Amino acid sequence: MTDSNFPDFDTMTPADFEQYLPEFFANGDGHVSTDPRLQKFLKNNPDCAALVRDLEAIADQARSLFELTEQPSDAVWTGIQDKLRHPAPEDDDLSIPQTV
Amino acid sequence: MDVQGLQMTQNTPTPGVFKRNPPIAGEAEAIEAAKNGDAEAFSKLYALHKRRVYTLCLRMLGNVSEAEDMTQEAFLHLFRKIGSFRGESAFSTWLHRLTVNLVLMHLRKKGLNLVSLEETINPSEDDAPKRDFGSRDLQLTGSVDRVALERAVASLPPGYRMVFVLHDVEGFEHNEIATMLECSTGNSKSQLHKARLKLRELLRQPEQSSQPAGFNEVAV
Repeated sequence: MTDSNFPDFDTMTPADFEQYLPEFFANGDGHVSTDPRLQKFLKNNPDCAALVRDLEAIADQARSLFELTEQPSDAVWTGIQDKLRHPAPEDDDLSIPQTV
Repeated sequence: MDVQGLQMTQNTPTPGVFKRNPPIAGEAEAIEAAKNGDAEAFSKLYALHKRRVYTLCLRMLGNVSEAEDMTQEAFLHLFRKIGSFRGESAFSTWLHRLTVNLVLMHLRKKGLNLVSLEETINPSEDDAPKRDFGSRDLQLTGSVDRVALERAVASLPPGYRMVFVLHDVEGFEHNEIATMLECSTGNSKSQLHKARLKLRELLRQPEQSSQPAGFNEVAV
């Protein structure tokens, strides 16, 4: 989306900002707080700036969840082996490993 | 949805996802051996990727039993179709796409219409993020506790959770999510924004109210 799709950054109201916030986030690197076009607005609208900081903090921390993983139970691998040994009719195209 | 059509298509690698899924030592050899039906190689691939695949299923489904079932299905599909993996994208990226599409198919079979679902686009008043845009709260500013965020994500309405997990956790782009969920890119952006607003709201609440019933079962 180009700037022409956005409201005038100098006259934008908080309601305008709220409406376009999903697009602001979707553009660039996803950090609205560092967008030079929005600096003046955010400085003049601390509640909007606080909202942006919160949403950025959530998005930033979400990335760290990618590394946080859980272990499935042993039953999952057992089930996979069983299904490979005894494929259902709909699994006819299954490539069965020789010794699983 | 044609699962195989989507999951087996190797699009141009997505930089964000590819970067987060670097090649793993010994993986390439295991893939080649698995293509020839080597059981040990399958076992190794399972060991290398089971946690990521299971956690992805758990986050998308919010249910341990279903997550384990879908993890099993994902690896069975992997073992059936590994011959079609050409190495144009990271193996884990390919496997994640396969898993996401299987989970989405599963949810559709259950009758959950994902992003086009009324509940997702127009969640109930209780589920929708509140329009308290103007109220400032310093509680979140600066940092978000990872465990609290994980709990809050688990308590999101399914549609919000799906888009949030795919975009903010898994690193898929909006156009990719739109394709997977069969919705518009704008819808994906809007759902993500609402999900983040809802999370902000949940994270500002006292601990007990952001923790859904049965949370212990779905927490990751």
